[in-house]
Amino acid sequence: MNLILEPIVKILIVLFINLTLVSYLVLIERKVSAYIQNRIGPNRVGPWGLLQSVADVVKLFFKEDIVPKDANKFIHSLAPVISVVVAFSTFAVIPFGNKITLYGNEYNLVIADVNVGVLVILALTSLGVYGITLSGWSSNNKYSLLGGLRSSAQMISYELSMGISLIGILLMTQSMRLTQIVAEQGGYIFGFIPNWNIFLQPIGFIIFLVSTFAETNRLPFDLPEAEEELVGGYHTEYSGMKFGLFFLAEYASMITASAFIVTLFLGGWQAPFIEYFNFSPFVISLLQLSAFAIKVLFVLLFFILIRWTIPRFRYDQLMNIGWKVMLPLSLLNLIVTAFLILINIL
Amino acid sequence: MLNLYDYIFYFFAIVILGSSFVVVFSRNIVHSAFALLFTFFGVAGFYVLLSADFLAITQLLVYVGGILVLLLFGVMLTNNIVNVEIKSGTMQTLPASLIAALIAGLLCGIFYVSNWYLVPTTPELLNNTTAVAIGYAFITTWILPFEVASVVLLVAMIGAVIIARREKAPEVE
Amino acid sequence: MLEQVYNSLQFIKPELILVGTLLVSIIVDLIFKNKKVVVAFVILGLVLSFYYLTFLNSINQLIFFNMYAIDPFAYFFKIFLLVATIGIVLFSVLSKEISDLKSREGEFYYFLVALTIGMFLMTSSTNLIMMYLAIELTSLTSYMLAGFMKEEKSSSEASLKYVLYGAFSSGMMLYGISIIYGLTGSFDLLAINMAIADGVSSLALLISTVLMFVGFGYKISAVPFHFWTPDVYEGSPISVTTILSVASKAAGFSMLMRTAKIMFIDPYAAPTVNDWQIIDSVPIVEILTILSVLTMTLGNLVAIWQSNLKRLLAYSSIAHAGYLLLGVLTMNNEGYSATLIYFVTYLFMNVGAFLIVMLVSNKLNSSDIDSYKGLGMKSPFIGVMFALFLISLTGLPPTAGFVGKLYIFAALVNKKLILLAVIGVLNSVVSLYYYVRIFRNMFLRESDIETPEIKLSLAEKLLILVFAIPTIGLGLYFAPLVEFAHASVEIFSGN
Repeated sequence: MNLILEPIVKILIVLFINLTLVSYLVLIERKVSAYIQNRIGPNRVGPWGLLQSVADVVKLFFKEDIVPKDANKFIHSLAPVISVVVAFSTFAVIPFGNKITLYGNEYNLVIADVNVGVLVILALTSLGVYGITLSGWSSNNKYSLLGGLRSSAQMISYELSMGISLIGILLMTQSMRLTQIVAEQGGYIFGFIPNWNIFLQPIGFIIFLVSTFAETNRLPFDLPEAEEELVGGYHTEYSGMKFGLFFLAEYASMITASAFIVTLFLGGWQAPFIEYFNFSPFVISLLQLSAFAIKVLFVLLFFILIRWTIPRFRYDQLMNIGWKVMLPLSLLNLIVTAFLILINIL
Repeated sequence: MLNLYDYIFYFFAIVILGSSFVVVFSRNIVHSAFALLFTFFGVAGFYVLLSADFLAITQLLVYVGGILVLLLFGVMLTNNIVNVEIKSGTMQTLPASLIAALIAGLLCGIFYVSNWYLVPTTPELLNNTTAVAIGYAFITTWILPFEVASVVLLVAMIGAVIIARREKAPEVE
Repeated sequence: MLEQVYNSLQFIKPELILVGTLLVSIIVDLIFKNKKVVVAFVILGLVLSFYYLTFLNSINQLIFFNMYAIDPFAYFFKIFLLVATIGIVLFSVLSKEISDLKSREGEFYYFLVALTIGMFLMTSSTNLIMMYLAIELTSLTSYMLAGFMKEEKSSSEASLKYVLYGAFSSGMMLYGISIIYGLTGSFDLLAINMAIADGVSSLALLISTVLMFVGFGYKISAVPFHFWTPDVYEGSPISVTTILSVASKAAGFSMLMRTAKIMFIDPYAAPTVNDWQIIDSVPIVEILTILSVLTMTLGNLVAIWQSNLKRLLAYSSIAHAGYLLLGVLTMNNEGYSATLIYFVTYLFMNVGAFLIVMLVSNKLNSSDIDSYKGLGMKSPFIGVMFALFLISLTGLPPTAGFVGKLYIFAALVNKKLILLAVIGVLNSVVSLYYYVRIFRNMFLRESDIETPEIKLSLAEKLLILVFAIPTIGLGLYFAPLVEFAHASVEIFSGN
């Protein structure tokens, strides 16, 4: 019974936290952008605008759901669902903490500890393109279609360098299990730098970060929805809660991507220097959980700051960077890493 | 007596068969491509049932994440932008279905009649991770096919570029 | 484990050099604007590969974990393939179609190298996965080469038809391979052979064998898998047509012969020199007989109606595949060596005939049979040489074609397959009819319009002679060839 109940409870908790985080992420984004642009931002609903997200959700629920006349109804409705499902399900393999002991039972703080976890995430992210492509196609609108096509081209191009930049880590860890990858990032380099992959694989980290921006369709790579050119891009013809789902999916995949970056490069739930203090195991578990949360929030903030400070690329520039810079660079990174491992430096 | 394993098997089997029927018989080529998505998922499910985890994920990554996206991409570009009707109807229905039925019957027949080579399933076989074993196999026993496959892919890639490249207008010298 | 990999490397030097040539040529092609540099590199690589190949003449062993056989049989075919490829590279240098490709010219030559790699792998593979990969490599490059003149509608059409048939047949073959794996649990030909000898379900085995023969039949363009042949041969650049009709066919045959011998010969029977004991659960000889009779009869009958020389030669090459299958279906050393002899003669006469068709179409822009009217009188050198190649293709003495046919029919008669021998001879008579039509046009008819005299450069004349001299020479003095073929039928079979 425990075998089934335990994952369900974990799924519910993670889902709840993610959904809450999404709604406040929207608020944070609006606040941050306001400060960057020297404005105040939402401040009317609730104290400091804290209930703004609730208002937004309620608004989306009550909006009319309009489906274009010649749209393909079935696929039109299915596309946002695919986006959301993919964005949330990816979180299943990410370890958000070490073990925790509650009422005498030990629980692993990961929903599914799959031994090809890295590949699962890559596979699921590559499915995300379907939501966008199909929504673009089924809307029967040229702007939507162009947005959909752009996104599939963009995501396919950046998936390659994304995958290859990870192989360096896999070579060092000799495992594709995410818990193993996080566990390997304990300890220190030279006794004081945390043994995180960002320090061992700096080029890999940069490539991965840039590719993540492209994969999540965030600025400066948000060409699928470039407002100035494509009205709203792939979701031009969506309204009401279907649009809300796309909105949800975008932020959820941002969270998942941040969690993935933290897991792979920033030590996951590892909290450095924690062993110098005499905490009880339960406190350590809690500290590790919060270390993970803080890191994720930090990466999310970085995502938002980038969005409001850097202008959008042109489409040909985007493709050039992907194929002519990122891909060769990631291959070079792989070769250098393999060579260093061969001569026993890494 | 059917156990859980069998139920899951039949579930995936129905998914594969049902979706491949849509692939073949749908008149709308985007629907066909879309149904192919479920066929690939079903096959990945089979791999999971056979505890071939690496293969299952690779199936998703390569076929669903790569090949099918490109397929949809091509279909959308030609179908919606260029306004070319892609014909996906059927011709010669009667002889084709007769031959197909004959071949299907024959193949189903031999699957029942024949004695297949069976590998005894051991717990190690079921629980070991396959990724490491596949990796070692690729650089030892199967190194030659592995390398040959890379030559095949290189040639295919250059070939695709040659076909797709737009020829420059003759230069005026 | 790794020692075996290192040890195996020394036996595939020719293949490694070809792969190296491919990679270097790709880069050279990017750097140099003059594409003749690529040609030079390609020829250098092929010759170097030939040099290293000659060291492997008496080696007989399996390498790379039983995936790849280095044996006299493979040696024979690799020599054959390299000679053919070098010949066709020289041939292409003279071709107007290829030098008109401009920026793509370099790619054409290194694709020929890639094709050679694929064919090398086909001759030596003893593992079904390797065989499949080799076929794919050969097929992919062939599709590309067939459609290389992509501005021409016929070339693109040829390529597309080739791809469709190729994809279908390789799918069938893969299905057959999967059934064989399911029956025997192995991809290794020797292991499959043992499993079959120990008994497997015969109906499934029959079906999987037939499915695999779809793949082979497609490569050697045997009827009923030949539908792509005329269109592809007509639409492709002539140098590609030539390599497809000679080298690619040879590679397909070598694979078919190796598979037939290793998979279906009873490993428990006492080894005999000449007559091989075939496992009786598979009607391999019957399958080959049906293929052979269909192939040569249909090829010859349809060739009669062709008015385009490229199509005519395409059907004639289908018919020749039928004669070659006659040698294979005897399933003994004599028949196999007869097939090898036939291949060598076929190389010279067929490439020679295509060469002349190419040179004429360079000048006249036509391969139509009517444009050959009066050609023999206007340009006697071309006329005589073409006549020589056609006589040889018919199989009349004193040419090489006669020797090839003689050995095949002798093998049939010795195996007491008199009826098949008679069918073969009757087919040769039919083929005489359509070859004679070309003679008649060349020498006995006046041309309706003014045909210009075709002036050949010295290089072109020399190249024709390179193929013409062996066509006569092998018809008169063929002992060394026969000896080489006899020594080369030894296929690595495990015991």
